[in-house]
Amino acid sequence: MKLFAKYTRINLLTTIIIFLLSATAFYFVIRYILINQVDNDLRIEEREIETYVHEHGVLPEPIPVKDQKISYALVDREFLKRKFTTEHFEGEGDSFRVLHFGITAGEKMYIATVAKSLEGTDDLTRSILLISLATILVILVTSLVINRVLLKKLWQPFYTSLDILKNFRVDKKQSLNFPSTQIDEFTFMNQTIGKTTNQAQQEYSLLKEFTENASHEMQTPLAIIRSKLDLLIQDENLSEDQSKTMQSAYTAIEKLSRLNQSLLLLAKIENNQYADTSRINLKDRIAEKLDAFHELWQNQNISVTSTLKDATINLNTELADILLNNLFSNATRHNFSNGTIDVALEEKQLKISNSSHENELNSRQMFLRFFSQDRKSRYNGLGLSIIKQICDVSGISIQYLFSGNEHRFILTW
Amino acid sequence: MKVLVIEDEKELSDSICAYLANEQFVCERTFDFSSSMEKILLYDYACIVLDVNLPGGSGLDILKELKTQNKTDGVLIISARNSLDDKVFALKTGADDYLTKPFHLPELAARINAIIRRKSFDGKNEITCNELKLDLGQKNVRVNNDAVDLTKKEYELLLYFISNKNRVISKNAIAQHLWGDNMDVADSYDFIYTHIKNLRKKLMQAGAADYIKSIYGMGYKFSV
Repeated sequence: MKLFAKYTRINLLTTIIIFLLSATAFYFVIRYILINQVDNDLRIEEREIETYVHEHGVLPEPIPVKDQKISYALVDREFLKRKFTTEHFEGEGDSFRVLHFGITAGEKMYIATVAKSLEGTDDLTRSILLISLATILVILVTSLVINRVLLKKLWQPFYTSLDILKNFRVDKKQSLNFPSTQIDEFTFMNQTIGKTTNQAQQEYSLLKEFTENASHEMQTPLAIIRSKLDLLIQDENLSEDQSKTMQSAYTAIEKLSRLNQSLLLLAKIENNQYADTSRINLKDRIAEKLDAFHELWQNQNISVTSTLKDATINLNTELADILLNNLFSNATRHNFSNGTIDVALEEKQLKISNSSHENELNSRQMFLRFFSQDRKSRYNGLGLSIIKQICDVSGISIQYLFSGNEHRFILTW
Repeated sequence: MKVLVIEDEKELSDSICAYLANEQFVCERTFDFSSSMEKILLYDYACIVLDVNLPGGSGLDILKELKTQNKTDGVLIISARNSLDDKVFALKTGADDYLTKPFHLPELAARINAIIRRKSFDGKNEITCNELKLDLGQKNVRVNNDAVDLTKKEYELLLYFISNKNRVISKNAIAQHLWGDNMDVADSYDFIYTHIKNLRKKLMQAGAADYIKSIYGMGYKFSV
């Protein structure tokens, strides 16, 4: 539910309740006051009758006055109590306020009844009620309109900020620019968002720098270890066991430096260090790669089929090389002896399929860093994430298909 | 032949000099910018192994100074930076080759040898090693003047071995040399084994001695 709607609903409900309550209270108060007024008039009438009886000893003749009735009734007991009632008379539309009081004239006891029409009072209360209802209606309508128009206008900076925030990318350098607003709360909100996002960007770039620096700093010790191993194996007196140990150390160093290289590459891609692109003749590039891998495939008895049509792509030269290397390496290393690799290049699409004994890759996780189907794998699990990252920054969409024992990657641009 | 190693990391510099210090090379070392500048202006070297990040300045400035002085020393840049731009820039400035850290010492030795050969024979060169004769221009091999038909990789392998005579080269270094950094398939060592087996067979069939020895499955040595 929108904030508006929620606010309007509550606002409307309370306004209606308050107005209804106050209108009811108002009605009763006004009616009480007006009836009091009429009662006073009746009392004056009573006094006039009493004075007349006192002076003349007889009841005055009832004079027919508009909205006023006076009548007397003979009783055998003295009527002491004075009594006000509101009554309806036959044939009269309006109700009457009636005063009954006892009076003695010429030694006879009467009940005098003085009645005054309440027509004016009823009219008045009715008008007051109507006016109140009209006021409620007008206020509700205006508040609705105000809510709709004014609140929408007031909240505009909020939505503008939201739109700007939607475009926020933690890995992009530019900070968010919010238009200035005169509302303190929104200014405060924008400042806070600005500060938080800036900080997030800073920390992210620090983290990236850290990865890059760490990888860089690792190169030298790696170079030292490798060079020391290269020297150590020159020793004529190494035993077979020692040689095996050396081989393990070599393999581990190899793995570590490859891992380091891959991490460095990923960090650099994320840092947009490969932003320059040029038009690349993909057919030539792939033909070169097929040539470079040829001996390797021959050695493993992998039969390679390729259909290459002319195709160009806008890509960074280095990334193109790394991408193709990774794709072909991938198709080779997960293959088996006497397996197959198929390369099909079309104008806007590259398909690389390879046979493999491995199961279908988990499509949700396969591009994650350090993901590897088989925990004991010799590979670091960065190959596919590098492929994905290169595709992402270069506007290439990559799709993975699996059927039979064939894994297929389809790149479309 | 004199080689100057300009590398601020002493341990690495030690390793390089220890590996290069055979009958062929005399190694000199400097560890910072100013002493390196002094050395290159005073002496001539067959090859200078130059690190880019030095205390006190950039190795590339040393390279520029060499070029301004019209010195013909060969320059091999060693750097932890591996981007194409860095390489292209160094080569444009006048470096002869560019090697990314971490590297294998046999690779470094092979590159230094190649630079020195190029400098001294103007590219029209031949390497003779007993009965073996490698024509670097034509990229072919003769044993006692009979041509041996080698594949591209086998030829590269032989040249690599000859540049690292009497040294044990690990399988990892061979893989790296043949397949480069980017091809992450090279740890299939069977493949190297097949290559070396074929190379040995071809050379011996052509009448060459059996120079290539396997060292406990860890690596190979070209003994002369």
